[in-house]
Amino acid sequence: MRRLDFLQSDRFVGLLFIAPFVVTAVLFMVYPIVEAIRMAFFSYNPLRPDLIFYVGLANFEYIFSDPLFWSSFAQGTIWTLLSILFQTVFGVGIALLLHRKLFGMAIFRGLLLFPYIVPTVVIALIWRWIFNPEIGVINYSLQSVGLISEPIYWLSTPTMAMASTIMLNVWKYTPFVVICVLARLQAVPLELYDAAKVDGAGAFRRFLDVTLPQLREVLIVVIVFRTVWTFNKFEEIYLLTKGGPGTSTFNLAVYSFEQSMASLRLGVGAATGVVMMVMLMVGSVLYLRVAGFGTEEK
Amino acid sequence: MNADSLWLTTKKISLYVLLCLVTFAVCFPLIWALSTSLKPKSEIFATPPTLIPQTTTFENYEALLSGRQQYYQSGEGKQEIGPSPAQFFTRWFVNSVIVTLGSTLISIVVSTLAAYSVTRFRYWGRSAIPYFSLLGYMVPSIIFVFPLFLMMVRLELTDNLLSLVFGYVCITLPFCMWLMWAFMRSIPIEIEEAALIDGASRYQVFADVVLPTALPGIIAASIFSMIVSWNDYLFGRVFINSLDNLTLTVGVMLFFEGTHVDWGLLMAASVLMTVPMAILFMALQRHLVAGFGAGAVKG
Amino acid sequence: MDVKLQRINKSFGSVSILKDVDLVFPSNKFVTLLGPSGCGKTTLLRMIAGLEEISAGSILFGDREINKLAPRDRNIAMVFQSYALYPQMTVRRNLGYGLRVRKTPESEVASAVERVARILEIDHLLDRKPAQLSGGQRQRVALGRAMVRKPDIFLMDEPLSNLDAKLRVTMRGELRRFHLDLNATTVYVTHDQLEAMTMSDLIAVMHKGVVQQFGTPEDVYKRPANLFVAGFIGSPPMNFLEGDVEGGRFKIGEAALPLPSLDSAKATGSAAVIGVRPQDLSLMTSAGPDALAGRVSLVELLGSEKLVEVQISDRKRISVQVRADSQVGLGENVHVGFDAQSIHVFDKQTEQSLLA
Repeated sequence: MRRLDFLQSDRFVGLLFIAPFVVTAVLFMVYPIVEAIRMAFFSYNPLRPDLIFYVGLANFEYIFSDPLFWSSFAQGTIWTLLSILFQTVFGVGIALLLHRKLFGMAIFRGLLLFPYIVPTVVIALIWRWIFNPEIGVINYSLQSVGLISEPIYWLSTPTMAMASTIMLNVWKYTPFVVICVLARLQAVPLELYDAAKVDGAGAFRRFLDVTLPQLREVLIVVIVFRTVWTFNKFEEIYLLTKGGPGTSTFNLAVYSFEQSMASLRLGVGAATGVVMMVMLMVGSVLYLRVAGFGTEEK
Repeated sequence: MNADSLWLTTKKISLYVLLCLVTFAVCFPLIWALSTSLKPKSEIFATPPTLIPQTTTFENYEALLSGRQQYYQSGEGKQEIGPSPAQFFTRWFVNSVIVTLGSTLISIVVSTLAAYSVTRFRYWGRSAIPYFSLLGYMVPSIIFVFPLFLMMVRLELTDNLLSLVFGYVCITLPFCMWLMWAFMRSIPIEIEEAALIDGASRYQVFADVVLPTALPGIIAASIFSMIVSWNDYLFGRVFINSLDNLTLTVGVMLFFEGTHVDWGLLMAASVLMTVPMAILFMALQRHLVAGFGAGAVKG
Repeated sequence: MDVKLQRINKSFGSVSILKDVDLVFPSNKFVTLLGPSGCGKTTLLRMIAGLEEISAGSILFGDREINKLAPRDRNIAMVFQSYALYPQMTVRRNLGYGLRVRKTPESEVASAVERVARILEIDHLLDRKPAQLSGGQRQRVALGRAMVRKPDIFLMDEPLSNLDAKLRVTMRGELRRFHLDLNATTVYVTHDQLEAMTMSDLIAVMHKGVVQQFGTPEDVYKRPANLFVAGFIGSPPMNFLEGDVEGGRFKIGEAALPLPSLDSAKATGSAAVIGVRPQDLSLMTSAGPDALAGRVSLVELLGSEKLVEVQISDRKRISVQVRADSQVGLGENVHVGFDAQSIHVFDKQTEQSLLA
């Protein structure tokens, strides 16, 4: 087969253009991940570089025998599941509300999607202010309306702290669900609703039989995605409660951070990271399987 | 009005009311923050708390933006308790801007070139690259932080804003690549062929024809990247430790953990931190459809 | 500048797209590559443009082999099916892009653009963007882009297929005029045989990657080289009947139709297929040896003509074109008359023409 010269120089341009990406990706994506995995097998104190040595699976033994690891795991799971539940329910509800041709809908849409872009630091600080037991406005309002007689210690009891972090998480990420669901809703052919109406279905039935099935695929994808994301979230918990009170709101990400930063055990932190990555892979496989089903059924 | 249209109007109105309530509930934290930031110290702790300040004061904003050395004051303003974050605010703001713009620039340039290469040229491994990017996007940042930090130590870039730029490239590049790839794929190849026949070199085709057409995608990716970099706390916390070099998120949070909390000041800082994002977000609204519609967040 | 295609072969992997294409397009002629989708005509055009690799063979412009040249060095212009106008540029910049990229001075670019815009009557659109133009206007801009550059070879890939029927008819004439103004060798790709017949100096009929026939419109119409060409060219399409050649006549059923002189060397057997255009048949009142009997199954009024479908046997129907005022009715028994000189004969096996 004859080769054309200009096509060869053409190919060169292609390789030239991908080079920066390859370099950057290798340096800042591949290397850190490989290094993170490597570190999991070493004892690593950042302040004593001379004391770095190979420890095999010791770090993993450590975390698997650490009750804090397991409570972090359990708490993280609860936190994730509850957050996702509320995000989904509210997300679908708000999307349904927004899916109408009412005047000023664009403004509502803009305002309701706002939480997604607010820095977590900001919302954590505001939260602490609003939910402050003594001087926060929430407690004041609840007390003055008579719903509670004593101030609620939003961030000082394990249960309430968990509830608070869940609330923050729901507040911040429901917009994501709304966007995805709304996009899907807008693609549903209107004739389906007309046909259902003609067939005699009321509003609720129409929701169950027309809307929900159409949303099924989107919701599956969104839920899997958000679950994987939420499980590994750090800032939303740390900035609000630092994992406390005590360690009652620890999840695996916070655990890893504390091990590395506070306890100076980078190896252990890395080992936790490895465990998180494995779970991520499991989640991804699940996603691919499920997403595959979604497109097949189309 | 007959019964039907009465029912419809009632439905409409109740929907509106519901929408307003929900929107208010969602926006409340920010509204309250704004309100608090405009109140004088005396009013902040007053009961009953008011939504709209009775006296509006800009002293908090003035304190933050002036960059003057400030101290917390006890009670009647006689005794100084400790330094407040106010004097560093402008410095931190600039740091955040530098780091955000720097990392976004790198991510956008790299991902646009790469996306073009992957969609138009043929070589081994090209189809794997976008999916590899997507995979990178899904890895949580906590896993990247410490290895990258150690790399910065070795490069002697600790406590240097440049290290944050690299760190943010790490977390923004994957999604930018994915987005630009989806976008490049939707550009019809014929206009490039027409340009080639017209006499343009590959580089000219890229600059004159492809880039202008890909602009909506570039804008969407830039905005996404800027939001992620600006809002980050984790990397900033680990990479930087001197007061001067902190980014906004870390700095403000740090001082919250100090001895004394000036809520008015803190709320003002929160508002100022969010304003750039709000502006970007409003710009994003227009490009949200173009960017995400290109297949990135498809349901 | 003429274009010579020598033993061109093209395959994608193991799939062969073009086989041994050997053609010469004379200088300044309008040549059409005609064929159904998938016949390889667009691929061939793109190879001439330099947008596809050549698996084997050479392409020459004049005496120069251009296989290894980049599109920009071939001095060609091309109009794509979708026009491919640069979406972010105004019409003015679209037209001028080719010249600007070759570093032509701005003043020259401006005057060339103005001149072309005037000729094509798009000067009032110069500051608009492609999205604001209609289909016909976009096409003119695409043509303008080519005209501005004064190419040696001008390529067009089904430029009329995106236009509505009426506009297509007007544009056919315009494209022909455009070709004459341009003074370049034009290679035109289409699947519409009417376009090819009305516009071309030469037609290359292609099917499954092989050139079936290369000749003037008259050649391919009056003397189709094989069954495919015969059936593809001409509207309404040719009638085909299978039978045997015996003793200088065509035996079908019980009839024996007269035939023109045949070259018996080309025949592989007696089995043959004859083709007759509806315009070359007539309806006769009485039976005869040169006619086939049948029943009218359909009558379509085409305007100044009528197309009568006659069922001559259980499964065979043929169309006859008659004058509009002919009083023929559904269900009538008629006789279809054949004129020997207008019958095309093809070998059943090779499908090649058997005419002498």
